[in-house]
Amino acid sequence: MLYRLSVFIYFLFFLSCGQNSGELPYLGNAIIQDGKKIYHTIGPINHYDQDSVLMTNTDFENHIQVADFFFTSCPSICPKVMKEMYKIYEAVSDDQQIKLVSFTIDPKRDTPETLKIYADNLGINHDKWLFLSGDKEETFELANSYFVSALEDPEAPGGFDHSGKIILVDKKGHIRSFTEGTDPSTTDQFIKDIKKLSDSYKNQSQ
Amino acid sequence: MKIYIFIIFLVVSGLFVTSCNESPYMQGKYLYDSLCQNCHMPDGSGLEQVIPAISESTVLGSAAMVCIIKNGIQDTIIRNNGQLIREMPSYSQLSVTEVTNIINYINHRWDKNFRETTILEVQEALKLCD
Repeated sequence: MLYRLSVFIYFLFFLSCGQNSGELPYLGNAIIQDGKKIYHTIGPINHYDQDSVLMTNTDFENHIQVADFFFTSCPSICPKVMKEMYKIYEAVSDDQQIKLVSFTIDPKRDTPETLKIYADNLGINHDKWLFLSGDKEETFELANSYFVSALEDPEAPGGFDHSGKIILVDKKGHIRSFTEGTDPSTTDQFIKDIKKLSDSYKNQSQ
Repeated sequence: MKIYIFIIFLVVSGLFVTSCNESPYMQGKYLYDSLCQNCHMPDGSGLEQVIPAISESTVLGSAAMVCIIKNGIQDTIIRNNGQLIREMPSYSQLSVTEVTNIINYINHRWDKNFRETTILEVQEALKLCD
């Protein structure tokens, strides 16, 4: 009996290892172009950060992004998602390769000045965690490219409907993992994914 | 004799039932879970300086809680560190009983000097709100 149980447990370990080893998958549909496989890539970033500096995709070429979409006056899911973002911020604060990026979907109210106050109230490092605002429609489209749904909806609390996903994007703009920011129990696994992606770059440079 | 056994059974089962409910203010807990914890978080910890932590709030146990719940906070308020905090929505749709139950749930959970607030006290405090 004990023998059977130990074999069973051994297999459980084996299975769980199988899931954790290897590199993170590329999420989304890949296309074949000129015989090369091109993975899904995030859309154009053309947004100002909380210090009114214009950021584009090239500014993230040397960084892994941990991204979410929110608005500061959001009465529904945003505070919970932010709490998980903050947890991630603390967990990866020493890793220079990683930046956190929060896009506002309410740029009319969330000007860079408002976002600066928000960031200051969070007490975070402005170089490490960027709060970005840009054109509203472009941000909605950008959200779609992160597999986050965001749209204006007068019926929704606060006037916007959006999902609370937190997305992991690699240096080339491919989506490698995500978590539901509204479910704190999944954050630890997501942090492991972030570290795994970060380690993969460290191994390359050696 | 039988009646004694029955009474003991009632008392014991009563103990089991109450020990399962961690808070004696169940309506307050239900209202906290549905209205407050979204921002103030399930453990009352809030979010840094963005959303105040209820668990460390200076208004715990005071009459000020009544007006904050009923009217919300419209203006940004300035904290000790000089930073701004955004508004809290008002919950004017709540009845006096509901406000009392939320306050008792919150104070029972986080106020070290817990004292039960009565419906009458809440009624009086409401008159003094704007």
